[in-house]
Amino acid sequence: MIRRARLSVTAACALLPALGWWIPRTAGAQFPPSPPPAAPLRPMQFPPFQEVRLSNGVQVILVENHELPIVSLSLAFPAGSRYDPAGKEGLAELTAALLTKGTPSRTADQIAAAIEGVGGSLSATAGADWFTVSSTVLTDHVELALELLADVLLNASFPQSEFDLAVRRFQSQLQLEKSDPGTLARRFFARELYGDHPYGRSMTESSLAALSRDDVVQFARSRLKPGGAYLIVAGDMTLAGARELLERYLRGWSGSAPTAASDPEPPAPRPTQILLVHRPGSAQSNILVGNLAMGPRDPVYYAITVGNRILGGGTDARLFKILREQKGWTYGAYSSVTRRSGPGFFAANTEVRTPVTDSALVELLAQLRRFRTEIVPDSELAAAKGYLIGSFPRSIETPQQIASQVTTVKLLGLGDDYLRSYRERLAAVTAADIRNAARRVIRPDSAVIVVVGDGEAIYDKLVKIAPVRIVDPEGKPLTVEDLKPKAEAVTFDPAQLVAGRDSFQVLVQGNPFGYMTAEWARFPDSLVYTEETVIAAVGLRQKTVVRLDPNTLAVRSVERTGQAAGQNLETAVSYQGGRVRGRAQTPDPRAGTPRVVEVDTTVAEGTLDASAFQPLVAALPLAEGSTFSLPVFEPAEERTRILTVKVAGVSDLTVPAGDFPVYRVEVSGTPQPFVFYVTREAPRRLVKIEIVGQPLTFELTASRRE
Amino acid sequence: MKLRHLMVPLVALALAAPSGAPVLALQRIAYEQYTLPNGLRVILAEDHSTPIVTVNVWYNVGSRNERPGRSGFAHLFEHMMFQGSAHVKKGEHFQLIERAGGTMNGTTDEDRTAYFETLPANRLNLGLWLEADRMRSLAITAENFENQRQAVKEERRLRVDNQPYAPALVEGMAMLYDSTDCFAYAHSVIGSMADLDAARVEDVQAFFDLYYAPNNATLTIVGDFDPAEAKRLIQQYFGDIPRGRDPPPVECRYRFDAGPMRKTWEDQHANLPAVIIAYRAPPHDHGDTPALQHLSTILGGGESSRLHRSLVRESKVAFGAGSQFQSRRGPGVILVFAIANQGVSAEALEHQLLAEVARVRDQGVSEEEVTKARNDHRAATIFGMQTTMSVSQQLQHYAHYHSSLDEIHTELDKYLSVTGSDIQRVARTYLVPENSLTITVVPKAGANQ
Repeated sequence: MIRRARLSVTAACALLPALGWWIPRTAGAQFPPSPPPAAPLRPMQFPPFQEVRLSNGVQVILVENHELPIVSLSLAFPAGSRYDPAGKEGLAELTAALLTKGTPSRTADQIAAAIEGVGGSLSATAGADWFTVSSTVLTDHVELALELLADVLLNASFPQSEFDLAVRRFQSQLQLEKSDPGTLARRFFARELYGDHPYGRSMTESSLAALSRDDVVQFARSRLKPGGAYLIVAGDMTLAGARELLERYLRGWSGSAPTAASDPEPPAPRPTQILLVHRPGSAQSNILVGNLAMGPRDPVYYAITVGNRILGGGTDARLFKILREQKGWTYGAYSSVTRRSGPGFFAANTEVRTPVTDSALVELLAQLRRFRTEIVPDSELAAAKGYLIGSFPRSIETPQQIASQVTTVKLLGLGDDYLRSYRERLAAVTAADIRNAARRVIRPDSAVIVVVGDGEAIYDKLVKIAPVRIVDPEGKPLTVEDLKPKAEAVTFDPAQLVAGRDSFQVLVQGNPFGYMTAEWARFPDSLVYTEETVIAAVGLRQKTVVRLDPNTLAVRSVERTGQAAGQNLETAVSYQGGRVRGRAQTPDPRAGTPRVVEVDTTVAEGTLDASAFQPLVAALPLAEGSTFSLPVFEPAEERTRILTVKVAGVSDLTVPAGDFPVYRVEVSGTPQPFVFYVTREAPRRLVKIEIVGQPLTFELTASRRE
Repeated sequence: MKLRHLMVPLVALALAAPSGAPVLALQRIAYEQYTLPNGLRVILAEDHSTPIVTVNVWYNVGSRNERPGRSGFAHLFEHMMFQGSAHVKKGEHFQLIERAGGTMNGTTDEDRTAYFETLPANRLNLGLWLEADRMRSLAITAENFENQRQAVKEERRLRVDNQPYAPALVEGMAMLYDSTDCFAYAHSVIGSMADLDAARVEDVQAFFDLYYAPNNATLTIVGDFDPAEAKRLIQQYFGDIPRGRDPPPVECRYRFDAGPMRKTWEDQHANLPAVIIAYRAPPHDHGDTPALQHLSTILGGGESSRLHRSLVRESKVAFGAGSQFQSRRGPGVILVFAIANQGVSAEALEHQLLAEVARVRDQGVSEEEVTKARNDHRAATIFGMQTTMSVSQQLQHYAHYHSSLDEIHTELDKYLSVTGSDIQRVARTYLVPENSLTITVVPKAGANQ
């Protein structure tokens, strides 16, 4: 040791004059001119864990750590969404949302106040496989945490009011997801990969509608059982202490969840196909490519994890560098490997501008194939291992993090040695291992490809890559013919539009935050609609004037002025002879300055301006069950969208202006779906607007007719 | 790379959690400290529970050390520290840390500038080497400087000038102190655009030479390391960096009875009026600090706080309301604020805010409120001790804000022994009109029409 040190000093002294480093500020001969090499990796001292089975069958795992007076409890049940009965998808998620929302002795508010009052937390979540209830508190409040945990597990009362609230929130969420191409892509991808296997199913509006409070009660009663459950306790607790407390608080809780019926097999691999989810007018395409891969305990995981980091596991990886930095097609491109209790999968994803959809997909597939044939260079291997091995310890620093890692190990059955040897297993991966793993796990020739985008623009290019099936966002099969936008002729009824003024209040989560007024004025040669909206809290003030032909209701001009997001908006366009001309200035919060579009283009006959849509809803020939497709021109985007207008139902609605029998009119095809409520009695009036997925509603407060 | 404290938009404060107090320790953190001959203070705290290590360097310089005409330097400097040094190219600092599996950042406030990285235990040498290289040889070039001056100006636009209420909060707080008697706290951390424009690269070099010397820095290492090896590396990397001059002391004269001050702020990004009532508070090491912290929690911490219950939920005059206690090495600020609901005037809002302040002064607080404030502080303190990063920040906090690092062992007790009458007393002492600055923020006329 000493000899070696002397030798190296001598060598350094001899070399120094020759090297001639510029050594700034001080002649620090000892300061190394390049980053020091990594010291040897010490064996991972992952906290050992102890296990004990309670008398009621709960398997308790304790990660004992008395450094801080913190206890983290995490109770995991085999009750994730894969146990949702067919046709009732969403049940596990709904149950999780409701579990902490009341018991016979505590309201939802009281549960929240009790746990927050001691600075702790309590929550429930449902994943694909597991249903988890967790709490973290200081040690001296652990009995309160257990009392609340036991109370919700044994006595959750699932009040109907909370059920209704949660269902409404989920409905809004689903509506919002339909307009989110990323979520659409993931849902269709899962369906393509897993078919009728539970991993392929997900909550829909109809499955949500099929759920009742009784289903939730039944699910909780039958599936949240101690038998088969894991309770991971991490932190300041001894095994004896944990056992005593748990036996006491969980007394009277017994039984096991029924064994689930065996799952349908996922589809067998087949030659690569593309599922095109047609979103008319979509400016970008969301692409997902992947295939079913390995089971949870397959040792190929280590090599493919390192490989994935190189291929697409971050901003330092190939997909990102090539698709974003070299080609400039996208903001991001990534790949991932997912483990489940059942079969897992490999996936690569990106979202690209519509015109480069096929180029990006071809390049993505080429990179996957290249990964199966070429050996990765040492520099990439070293950087990937450096990141994965180095960052792992940061993921087990707190008791909650440790509990989460141990939970994964238990739930996937990875074995007690897994966490201890994880870094060594990654370190041992060779470039040849990665290629072998890639050949097994990444299969671009028998892959599922989902592309969500504008079918009309991309179909012809996609069929050159692989066979294409087409569906709409609801999953309904479409033919190539269906991709051509076509809007049916709709005859508006001018008699529904009566001169007068309607006032609306703007509500955010039920609280008034602004107002809107809508006024119709009739002149001998024109019909003028003026709308003013002020939502001060979000900085929106705008005034819109739409001039129409009094007989055909064809739009002649639109002017909009105001301010939003601190920027001025100013739009003025006119329609004449199948052409629209003008200028649209809209806020662009990202850029910091408004976006200006000079508009001069042709529009099909019967096209509405986007600002004219809302005022004309009342003049549509609304009837129960009717559906319309309307071409709507958005000047700011210089583009026409086909909006689908559907009369989804009739009901009686109360707003501040009074009680009205109404049509519920759902509008999709816009980035944000809307629901309009229009009176059934003529002359019809708009009485309420909801923006799906946003806590924003407009309600009629007063109406004056001339 | 961010400014601490004031940069949080007021709206976010109004809707979010209690104000952030410095986190204090509950139980004994074992540490050792020593000073190198060149003045570098070193604090080592071993924790072998996870094989990671945090290297945390605080320079004893913040905006309080700046001179009139040169505001914004401390923060500008923090940006410069990521622009490369003799052996680290621009951008390489981040890449070296990332490829080692680590994380890093830097922050600046009135009282200090902090740089830290959390790494796997076997890369302690990398963290120390990176910190040492920039302490000994920061690349102060005209190009880097110009580059970062623009970046800081952009940051000011993004985080202050274009945020509703932020200019009033940032500039307003500095108005509590007199720029002749206490320039240290009479200007904002981010500084003025004019001063940033006037800065020359020689000023930056002079600032570096004076404040970024080892005798003005404290190096803290927390986590899984061998102290003998750490000391050897510290000696090798930092030992021969020459000591600098002693920086001049910070001077600040202030009083709590200067008389009520008012200021109206026209804000082109705000759409609703807001009222901020700020009061001067004593320096962090003053005995009233724990009671002021609890007072702030009771008034404005979370949804069960007085201001939220009374102004937001009950009378509904406010869209959001809260409080903030900013405790500093020098005199600090305790403030209450509310943003008006649609149709509520600033006068009505101020009236209700003042009524809540008066209610604490006149009637004190309940036992339940005291218990909640103590619990809240205790839980936050302990949850804040879970990572090597947060422990290193606490050690640095005690090294700079307290007379002895050992106070880390006793500080929580002070907070847990605060009584309701202590809280009422500090409210009567500091939350009084003659110690106040009332800022009314009004939407700028015409801006939104």
